[in-house]
Amino acid sequence: MSRSFLRTRFADLAIVLVGVSMLTFLMIRLVPGDAVAIMLGANAEVTAERMAEMRARMGLDLPIPVQYAQWLGAVLTGDFGTSLWTGQPVIGEIAKHVWPTLQLTGLSLLLGAGLAVPLGVAMARLRGGWQETALQIASVVGLTVPSFWLGIMMILGLATLAPDLQMLGYVPFASDPLGNFTRLLLPAIALALPILANLARLVRSAMLDALQQDYVRTARAKGVSERSVLFKHALRNALIPFVTSVGIMTGYLLGGAIVVEQVFAIPGLGRLILGAISERNYPLLQAAILLVTSGFVVANFAVDLLYAVIDPRVRLEGRL
Amino acid sequence: MRKNWQGALVLGALMASCTMALAIPAATAQTIEMAVDGSPAGLDPHIVTAFNSTTIVGGTIYEGLTVIDKDLRTVPGLAESWTVSPDGLTYTFRLRANLTFHDGKPAEAADVVASFNRVMSATIASPLASRLAALDKAAAPDARTVVLTLKEPSAPLLTALASIAIVPRAFEADKDSLQRAPVGTGPFKFKEWQPNSFIALEKHAGYWNAGKPAVSGVKFNIVPESATRQVGLTSGQYSILPNIDAATALQLRGRPNVRIVDTLELAYTLIGMNVSKPPFDNAKVREALNYAINRAEIVQAALFGAGVPGGSLSPALKDWAVDPATFPCFKHDPAKAQALLREAGVTTPVAITLLVLPRQDIRDIAQVVQQQLNRAGFRVELRIPEIGQFVQDWRNSNFDAFASTNAGSTDPDDYYYRTFRTGGSTNVFKYSNPTLDALLDAGRRETAMPARKAAYDRAQAILACEGPAATLTYGQLFTATRTNVQGFDIIANRSLMSLMNVTLAR
Repeated sequence: MSRSFLRTRFADLAIVLVGVSMLTFLMIRLVPGDAVAIMLGANAEVTAERMAEMRARMGLDLPIPVQYAQWLGAVLTGDFGTSLWTGQPVIGEIAKHVWPTLQLTGLSLLLGAGLAVPLGVAMARLRGGWQETALQIASVVGLTVPSFWLGIMMILGLATLAPDLQMLGYVPFASDPLGNFTRLLLPAIALALPILANLARLVRSAMLDALQQDYVRTARAKGVSERSVLFKHALRNALIPFVTSVGIMTGYLLGGAIVVEQVFAIPGLGRLILGAISERNYPLLQAAILLVTSGFVVANFAVDLLYAVIDPRVRLEGRL
Repeated sequence: MRKNWQGALVLGALMASCTMALAIPAATAQTIEMAVDGSPAGLDPHIVTAFNSTTIVGGTIYEGLTVIDKDLRTVPGLAESWTVSPDGLTYTFRLRANLTFHDGKPAEAADVVASFNRVMSATIASPLASRLAALDKAAAPDARTVVLTLKEPSAPLLTALASIAIVPRAFEADKDSLQRAPVGTGPFKFKEWQPNSFIALEKHAGYWNAGKPAVSGVKFNIVPESATRQVGLTSGQYSILPNIDAATALQLRGRPNVRIVDTLELAYTLIGMNVSKPPFDNAKVREALNYAINRAEIVQAALFGAGVPGGSLSPALKDWAVDPATFPCFKHDPAKAQALLREAGVTTPVAITLLVLPRQDIRDIAQVVQQQLNRAGFRVELRIPEIGQFVQDWRNSNFDAFASTNAGSTDPDDYYYRTFRTGGSTNVFKYSNPTLDALLDAGRRETAMPARKAAYDRAQAILACEGPAATLTYGQLFTATRTNVQGFDIIANRSLMSLMNVTLAR
């Protein structure tokens, strides 16, 4: 891996992060309604002066550029601020919420990407048969069914079939490993299904494409076993678009996790961000968005590197 | 590669079978598992007044000198008794013996004084400050005596005191600590808050009401999705869903092991009108709007029949509320509405934009109202913004009319003074009526019940047809519990104080 390749990627990363932080800072503040108004709601009896005092206490009376500059300055020294509502350091709140989301998206990715390869290969192998039609239909359904709906159906279904199952909420791994796993499995399946369908279709077409290549014909002509043709020759090449997609899917996963966490009452980053938006909890939102964006950018960065490992041609292009 | 394929399939099968086979046993018997729809905005009882927060901490962690009981009467709380001077300007409270805060320190008169000072201080900027507007000063002559001196007699004071939590004097100038780690005198003590996940309370061993609470703790699980809360209740993962809407209650009714309890709400739904600009600056147009509305139809169409049409005080306040049948404009009469619009001299159809609180029941109500008004000479456009926008527009009176809900109270002063008096802090209607102002002032100063009642009867008559708020409905407030939950009482002001009486049968 060349040094310039890495340097360019890191510079991209920094630019993206600064840009995203500015955008979120601006956007959330352009939305009408501030934290004080929302905290009090459309009912509380409170005078304009009192509201102004509360605003000043939270530092919301400063001009937006000043607020941004102060925030950025603090972030560079590692201080992400305190939550407007609870007064806790936001980094601590985020740390509590990161783990469930990581576990959830990790498990979904494992399920989705892990099952997509054999499924895609099977679909390519079964070309023309009724099994292929069945799998194709299943994959279209998987693609179109929204995760949150699937989640609600799973909850309702299991409530009827197995009413005593404790499947809602989140249990930390340390306090109950098995409970932790069983509670994450359903949301992970709901989240993984569209990804599985998407990736399986991708693997299928990449395999079909690869199977028509000259080197496959050559391998077959040399008398290489069909299994070896499939997995050693075709699949390796078919994996390149697959790896790229997995990187992009990670972003989708984080987005989907917001809704699925809501349905399954999992205290993850998605719910933290949703809450922070509706509460106008600026410091918390800034830090959480920055973290998620970094996660996404880093995932893509990792995919780029992985790409270079799988396909040496990418490394050469990086030198240009 | 072959192994991977098989491995993945085996792993998948294993994972699937795990969920089915390994059910975790039901929650521990001695903790009441609640499921609520949203995270509280902080737990400082003097700063945050949103339902989500007050429901969780009011009556569980915190208590006031007085308390509202389940029959909505104001009864002794931390004060076991009190006397009022003949001029109505001095209240002397006697505190209960052996009051302790959750941090183990005794709760004394000095803490009560500090709590009141905290609410009134500018640095805390408490939205509750106006409830103590009549208070001149608070003093603590000894550890168990609190003397409140008023600027003027205040009939609603005792009721208002129920909503002022008593906190340790150490927090008098502290703006942050109680938001995340509340300390009160109530039956339950704060244990842990995992934002977006749960708030756990445990039994306060030093609670003055010996033997209470009956359980070892309460856990408020934060579960935003309604379907998830329902399934959690039917599966037994949660024991109580407090304050649920009519739709959810109907879905849960009749499920095995589920009981629905209900009571008439104090909160009401309303159409608020901006009287500072056309067309609602004209009293006849406001009256026409009242005639155009079919309140019974709203109850049927939007509240699933669970509610009653109502005037400007909840029918739950039997001592105060005037029967809405006595208000002529509460009779649905679109022809009369159109006649009134003609009399008012406005061009019909009268085009208005209705600002709608973004909440499902209010949206439903707004749609019904839109249909009804359109049939009677209005042309209504609905605007349903996000909550932040709604609050901003509402506070700035940036609307022709709005559809929303208002929290109720057990004292009419609390309903009316801030809302309809000239310059009142939530008088977003910009309404000003000297006759009404005089009645509301009298209702606040007058301490004799018949005189107060007379003032509020007249106020209700004035507000009913030409007032800036067309009250629509009072809904039923529902709570769903498992059938093994015993001792739970639903209270119309949404207080969960009866949790201290709850036991969980096996």
